[in-house]
Amino acid sequence: MTEQTALERRVQLWFGPQHPGITGNMAVQAWLEGDTLTSGVTHVGYLHRGFEKLMERRKFIQSFPIVCRICVPEPDTNEWLLAASIEELSGLDKEVPEKARWIRTLFLEMSRLSSMLMVLGGHVGAMGLGTAPNWLITLRDYILDRFEELTGARVYHMYVTYGGVRRDLPEGFAERLEANLQEIESKLPLVDNVIFDSAVFRKRAIGVGVVPEEWVDELGLTGPIVRAMGIARDTRTDYPYEKYGELDIEPMTTTGSDIFARAWMRRLEIAQSIDLIRQILAKMPTEGPYSAKLPNMLTWTIPAGETYVRAEASRGEMGYYVVTDGSDKIRRVHVRGPSYVHGVTLLERLMPGTNIADLSALMVSLQVCPPEIER
Amino acid sequence: MASSKFPLAPPEHSRPHAPMGEGCFLGETERQQPLALKEALAKIKNWFRANSLWVMAYGTGCGSIELRPLTTARFDMERFGMAMRPTPRQSNVLIISGYLSVKSLKRVIRAYEQMPSPKWVVGLGSCTINGGMYWDSYNTINRLDLYVPVDLYIAGCMPRPEALLEGFGVLMEKIKAGEANGWNHYLEQMDWYKENQKKLITDWDLPDYNW
Amino acid sequence: MDEIIQRIRDNFGVLREHRQRDDLAEVWIEPRHVLPLLTWLKEHTPFVQLTHLSAVDWLEDGEFQLTYLLTDPVGRRSLMVAVRISREEATAESVHTLWAHAVTYEQEINEMFGIHFPGSPRQGVPFILEGWDDIPPMRRDFDTVEYMNRHHPSRPGREHTDPRRYIGQVVGEKGYLHD
Repeated sequence: MTEQTALERRVQLWFGPQHPGITGNMAVQAWLEGDTLTSGVTHVGYLHRGFEKLMERRKFIQSFPIVCRICVPEPDTNEWLLAASIEELSGLDKEVPEKARWIRTLFLEMSRLSSMLMVLGGHVGAMGLGTAPNWLITLRDYILDRFEELTGARVYHMYVTYGGVRRDLPEGFAERLEANLQEIESKLPLVDNVIFDSAVFRKRAIGVGVVPEEWVDELGLTGPIVRAMGIARDTRTDYPYEKYGELDIEPMTTTGSDIFARAWMRRLEIAQSIDLIRQILAKMPTEGPYSAKLPNMLTWTIPAGETYVRAEASRGEMGYYVVTDGSDKIRRVHVRGPSYVHGVTLLERLMPGTNIADLSALMVSLQVCPPEIER
Repeated sequence: MASSKFPLAPPEHSRPHAPMGEGCFLGETERQQPLALKEALAKIKNWFRANSLWVMAYGTGCGSIELRPLTTARFDMERFGMAMRPTPRQSNVLIISGYLSVKSLKRVIRAYEQMPSPKWVVGLGSCTINGGMYWDSYNTINRLDLYVPVDLYIAGCMPRPEALLEGFGVLMEKIKAGEANGWNHYLEQMDWYKENQKKLITDWDLPDYNW
Repeated sequence: MDEIIQRIRDNFGVLREHRQRDDLAEVWIEPRHVLPLLTWLKEHTPFVQLTHLSAVDWLEDGEFQLTYLLTDPVGRRSLMVAVRISREEATAESVHTLWAHAVTYEQEINEMFGIHFPGSPRQGVPFILEGWDDIPPMRRDFDTVEYMNRHHPSRPGREHTDPRRYIGQVVGEKGYLHD
């Protein structure tokens, strides 16, 4: 038998799009030597719907039902970003009532919490441990129940609108939300036990998928990936929007920068989110309007301008770059999702040297959300 | 059950080793049997099929987020004999969970043809019916049933887990009644489906049939 | 922020500038200054991160606008550098040597707008679309409805209703929805 060259030993493997370990509908074209990746390329486009084109054809109010569909686990950040950017360009942001701002903050934080509950389960689910994901998805369902009560829908809410929100909080909402939070808190020690004390998870997560600190500025990394390196950067505190500036909030950090650190980061942020929701409920005014007076949405035009608005999604900084030209439609919108960098450039850099079995755990820990990359 | 219109015979090596003939209880062969026995056998087969639906875990669109709660204790689809399978070779229900881009459609056709018969397709959400929210998008298809045979649509954007369970109940009833025959229709009308698929996918590089 | 914009004015020349918020400013510059200015901003100022790069099609002016959003993560402020390029030529300088992830942005803009970035890897490699045979879809002269009618047949019987017919009755005298 003749000796094989390195090139001959390489095997090309398509990981996805039809693969249960992939996050969403995307693919990774991987080259392997043995079971170690030598390189890989991310392929997206399986979920492309052309949002940015469709929004150029729709009036401002008609864009709400489609923007929330940009990211399924956490649609509300998109709604808020569209509302905030258009309000800023039209000057409506000065008229948003106090109570609407509090409700929006609550809404955004609930959405972060539901998304993080899901992704924490994904961390161990990607390693084949099924218990914690099943628990956490059920816990997330409690938050979805409150969303349903508030907005009428479980997943896509279309609740934030220009000048405020669509309806007031129902009576007794705070108590029921508090009961859900207590239920979630009571289950979290069990979840900790099966995730962070699990020998399987510790062995496979500690020291795997380390993101070096030099890449933060070079690649523009944001969110839990950065905070898991010990750098305290959080859009909610760095650029306080809505009522985050009035809350007692500190960016959570941990060290290690590996898969375990990022999972632990999510666990810390779940606790932080629960605390923030309680603070918001305590500080929220009970009286007052929940929406500003809106102009006729069918004929509403706003002046020409450009802006960039950012918010902290559970994955990192999400931003909308919006250009208007004085007509009744958006001229151009660019959705800057955190996964755009995390899922393509960062993932491709981390892939060489990774074991094929760790690849899906790595993708979950970067929280790659493909619809955000291709829109 | 092989129709004369079915243009492609399986290659020699992919045929089962044991001939599906005498002594094969559930084999799909034309045999000289009394009509009553044939009907009884068909009913038994359909009853078995309806109570073990294995769903392929391929989230083609956003509707798949509501499939995940179905597997947890709250909605629990396993009590109806349904389970998620990772590969097309082990599954017989393909859920198209929402909008389908042209790039995804190619993979869906491939996965669908790889699934062993009998197999059923469930179109989930308004997007599969008439394009839904993305009716004017250049990259999403408006009608799923032009490209793969759809046995059941579940309307909504997105359908709730309860709606999904209700929908799967209807699919089971259809299978028991012998009405869910999309997979036969696909083989019989293969030319029509292939023509539609090739009209849309301009860089066609799939084999004629993905075994 | 003011000091940096003043230095851009002195050294590179600013065609137009705009202050959107306290932490967000925008400057329009000439195409030949893009690479020197971005290099200077990255190497010698706190604006080290490229947050996004996107294109706007100004069809009526016959120009594309490229917008580079740079962020100063420590000072918590952002600067948009915008440049107008001719729509016919549609070529711009690549910045992938400064930021590695600019490759993805340039690949996408190349595919969706047809703007070419010479020297950038993955130019012409399909990123999102597959088997596309029309003009780049994000250009303003691409008609998505016409394309949809040609390629994606609709189910017969779909009705199109104008919401104005129904909502017009509810809207009050002053045009406010809440009156």
